[in-house]
Amino acid sequence: LGVMASEVPTRVVCLSQVVSPEELKEDNEYEEILEDMREECGKYGTITNLVIPRPNPSGEEVPGIGMVFVEYTDTQGAGKAKATLHGRRFGGHTVNATYYSEEKFTHGDYGG
Amino acid sequence: DGEGGAKKRKSRWAADEPKAPLLGQIQLPDFVRELTGGVDLDPELQALNIKLLDINRKLQTGQVLDERGDGNRSPSPEPIYDNMGIRINTREYRAREKLTRERQEVIAQLIKKNPSFKPPADYKPPKLYK
Repeated sequence: LGVMASEVPTRVVCLSQVVSPEELKEDNEYEEILEDMREECGKYGTITNLVIPRPNPSGEEVPGIGMVFVEYTDTQGAGKAKATLHGRRFGGHTVNATYYSEEKFTHGDYGG
Repeated sequence: DGEGGAKKRKSRWAADEPKAPLLGQIQLPDFVRELTGGVDLDPELQALNIKLLDINRKLQTGQVLDERGDGNRSPSPEPIYDNMGIRINTREYRAREKLTRERQEVIAQLIKKNPSFKPPADYKPPKLYK
């Protein structure tokens, strides 16, 4: 119970279990995913930044693979997106939506 | 193919279908969050709230002396008397002062950790000394 109750709203929503590494490798597919995200997430507020970490071609491990980070101008937009997108299906995956630390996000830390 | 096609590419997002319940993340109904200010279920805040209620109760009922046996008490400070020769720093007085200070600290922490916390009307923020 404590985990979710201590959750503090932020302007950044993290969608996890959204995409597989294979889908991210293909440039075309990656662009389409970006577009789908921009379109859908834009319905809940004004997006200031959208980041989808991609696997490194060298095979090096990259944190945040499979996640999509959406930053809004305000927590209201983030809250709406989180509430609506949580449990929605995206290309066969069931989306898990949580708030993400604004500080980590601005520092490019996608490791959770 | 698909480039320049008249028909728009289908989004990967499924239409608003009934949500599959996800384990491990159950949302509280909104009214519960409003009641609690959203963060009151934080165990740390809960502990602080309980401490504050406890201190308030002691101050209000006048039961400010703790129940340690007389043998375990630390030595009392030198007595201080007022102009009339009545002792000021009695045990009760000192215990009350101590509780009041504790209360201020607990409230200060609650304010810091929970922005929606409303301090009691008699709370004064600590003075800053230069």
